[in-house]
Amino acid sequence: MKRRRKIKRNLNSIVIFLLLTALAAVIVAMRINVKPEKKYTIAVITKSTKSDFFAAIKAGANAAATEYNVKMTFSGPGTEEDFETQNRLIAEAVEDGADAIVISAVDYNASAKAVKRADEAGVKVIVIDSDVNSNAVACRIGTNDYDAGIMAGEAALNVNEEELYIGIVNYNVNSANGQAREAGFRERVSSDSRVKSVETINVLSTTEDAREKTKMFLRRDAKINVVATFNEWTSLGVGWAIRDLNMKEKHVVAFDNNVVSIGMLESGEIDALIVQNPYAMGYLGLEKAYYLLRDGKKPKDMDTETTVITRENMFSPECQKILFSFQ
Amino acid sequence: MKEKKNRMSKWSVSGIIVFVVTSLTMTVMVIGVIVFAVVYQKSVTQNAMIASEQAAVQVSNIVENYLMDMRKNMEQLREYYKLEKKERNEVINTLVAIQNEVVSVTAYNLESREMLFGWTGEQKMKKKTLKNLSVEEWEECGKNEIYISSPHVESILKNDYPWVVSVCSVMTDSQGQKEMVVMDMSFSQIAGYVDDVGIGAHGYCFIMDREGNIVYHPQQQLIFAGLKSEYVEMLSQSSDGTFQWKGGIYTLQTKESSGWRIVAVSFINEMITERVKSVVLIICFLLLALQTITMAVSIICSRMIGRPVEKLEKAMKEFEKRAEDFVYHPVHGSREIEALSVSLGHMIQRIQELMEQVRREEVTLRKTELRALQAQINPHFLYNTLDSIGWMCEEGRNQDAVEMVNALARLFRISISKGHELIPIEKEVEHAKSYLQIQKFRYKDQFTYDFQVDEECLKYYCNKITIQPFIENAIYHGLDRMVDEGHIQICIRQENDRIAFTVEDNGVGMTEEEQKGLLKRESGDKTGIGIKNVNDRIKIYFGEEYGVKIESELDEGTKITITMPKLEGENL
Repeated sequence: MKRRRKIKRNLNSIVIFLLLTALAAVIVAMRINVKPEKKYTIAVITKSTKSDFFAAIKAGANAAATEYNVKMTFSGPGTEEDFETQNRLIAEAVEDGADAIVISAVDYNASAKAVKRADEAGVKVIVIDSDVNSNAVACRIGTNDYDAGIMAGEAALNVNEEELYIGIVNYNVNSANGQAREAGFRERVSSDSRVKSVETINVLSTTEDAREKTKMFLRRDAKINVVATFNEWTSLGVGWAIRDLNMKEKHVVAFDNNVVSIGMLESGEIDALIVQNPYAMGYLGLEKAYYLLRDGKKPKDMDTETTVITRENMFSPECQKILFSFQ
Repeated sequence: MKEKKNRMSKWSVSGIIVFVVTSLTMTVMVIGVIVFAVVYQKSVTQNAMIASEQAAVQVSNIVENYLMDMRKNMEQLREYYKLEKKERNEVINTLVAIQNEVVSVTAYNLESREMLFGWTGEQKMKKKTLKNLSVEEWEECGKNEIYISSPHVESILKNDYPWVVSVCSVMTDSQGQKEMVVMDMSFSQIAGYVDDVGIGAHGYCFIMDREGNIVYHPQQQLIFAGLKSEYVEMLSQSSDGTFQWKGGIYTLQTKESSGWRIVAVSFINEMITERVKSVVLIICFLLLALQTITMAVSIICSRMIGRPVEKLEKAMKEFEKRAEDFVYHPVHGSREIEALSVSLGHMIQRIQELMEQVRREEVTLRKTELRALQAQINPHFLYNTLDSIGWMCEEGRNQDAVEMVNALARLFRISISKGHELIPIEKEVEHAKSYLQIQKFRYKDQFTYDFQVDEECLKYYCNKITIQPFIENAIYHGLDRMVDEGHIQICIRQENDRIAFTVEDNGVGMTEEEQKGLLKRESGDKTGIGIKNVNDRIKIYFGEEYGVKIESELDEGTKITITMPKLEGENL
């Protein structure tokens, strides 16, 4: 009799348990149901919006946005030194409800706070091109600047001169990538016995400032026969300076594929271009942000490829595709 | 067959119902989910293929229009080329300036391949070109009426490097001179169009040539950088159509006029599998819910049927065990169960009635039987006694003979007692004394006897002729064979709510077997009523807890104890 009652109680509890299971299953099913494919908003904030380099980043990001069905916004300050505006843009993107921010930081340190705040607001941050001093960054994609510097050094040494006097025209001391590139460059050229001196001047990251200061620099030190510079605007400035001074004999190693720089490569003011892959940065930045949002898994850092373009190979089919964008 | 039956018998009705319902719904659900998943997957794949095909058709239409424009422009150019030089230059320059797609028109000497003219609209031509990419594929140009090159960069403009395709044809000018004319048409528009084609969540289109070289790909920078790859080898070997390959849906369409093949790529993984997975997951959870509810409901239902059946079963089992005093409580449940319960109730009642009736009839029968026995007078006893009386008279012992006759008369009077079964103990004692008196005469003082009677007991009732058979037994079996004088002690006393009669002798005693035999043997030839009879009567009248107990030891004597309840009157 007792046993029977026990069985009866057991049956009751089994029935209750089954009904609870059913309820739980329905709730779980509803949960799955109410989770449609979300359309993410990803803000791409670059150092500036003007250069061809950042236009290519935008193009790459756009391609990824189309492919992954993501809403992409693109913005950046007017000049490449204006970290305040960039910080404001980051804050605005957070306010506007961006799910992730893909950023190329103006200043290695000054941008850190804004990035941290974005992270605290639950916005994922992915860095492309230029790094920021923050551990809130989920993933870094860009040129390996040190290696790119070594490549530039290689290209600078590829010249028929007995003695090499190298002048470096670098930009913002606070920009992480400029400093890394210079370090790589110096590392590579210091191993060559032909190199007699390596001197650096720092200019603003604008064509005009670079042009004027390079002219002064070259006039002051006539011995310099190799010039190296590490971004799009300083490259243009150096190119113009060479054209102004009519010093095509100087061996110039420059960065990025601005149309004018390419023209200068063709006409001889510039002798080698270290071309990054901004399209890939933009594309991968957005792609990684998308996967990070969708799967919640932290992606691995990635280096994008750099290529040395010279007058000899610039019109080969492969280099055409790297050098000339479709826009 | 038998084994099967046995196995079935171990299952309860509820168990079978729950099992059958659950396994049935489970099977149906699993089949349903599988069928759904397959059908859904198929239809979604079909849709994805259609989407892929549509995208390919759209792109191919755009490419077709683009090629048509190209031909139209080329035909127009052929007409213009026949004009006078001055007019021709103006007209062609205007054409280049107005038509956005036309980037430049250049003319070359067929032999020296030297550039003769260049029309670039408002754009400036470089003074010195490093390399003219428009005539890279010169060898191919002469072969067809119109030749379309692969895309390349326009390398003759100043600070502008648009992507173009070169269309070349040999044309005749106003003087009948044959020259190679190359028209470069912008490629960025079509590129932009291809860029914007998205298929599903993660798909795109690209253009390749027959050899499998990529003409344009939205992510060609990635492909060149080695970050992405296409199965160009497989694609170049495939013919037109839509097919699946390594998790992707590919649609191929070839433009015969240009040799370009449009490839639409979309991904099953992204588009279909994810959705099917989540839908199937939802369904699985809902089915799990349904399954558990079904199980719960079937448990409840089966209990509604099974529990009353179990109750009935239990009731029957209990009834089986002790039928007489079983009290049946009706079982409630469905209509069939209640009908069954009522029938069982009736049956139990009927059986109990019948049992009671049988018992009563048996008792009556026994009583009648016993009464008949009591009424009989043992002829030996009567004969012996009368013989003794006869001898007494002959010897002139009249007083003894009178006592003897009186004793005999008392004996019979009490034996009959007007047919009553129960008589007061006083009478019973008198009956025993009369019997002993007669026997004493007969056995010539071979034994002595003594009565020890609690006066209070005398008013209670007992079965008649209860003590006498034991005295008889003591005389015949205990004392008769003795050399010494025997003694019979008779006690009647109260023990709580019962009366105990003891008849004790100091005779030869009995073996165990004799003791047992005494209570089983039917009445002997010597006395009218046997010991067994006494025992039976007591048990029939008062129940199993009363009756006769024999204690005996060889050469020591026998003690018989008879217990019965205190009866205040004749009626039970």
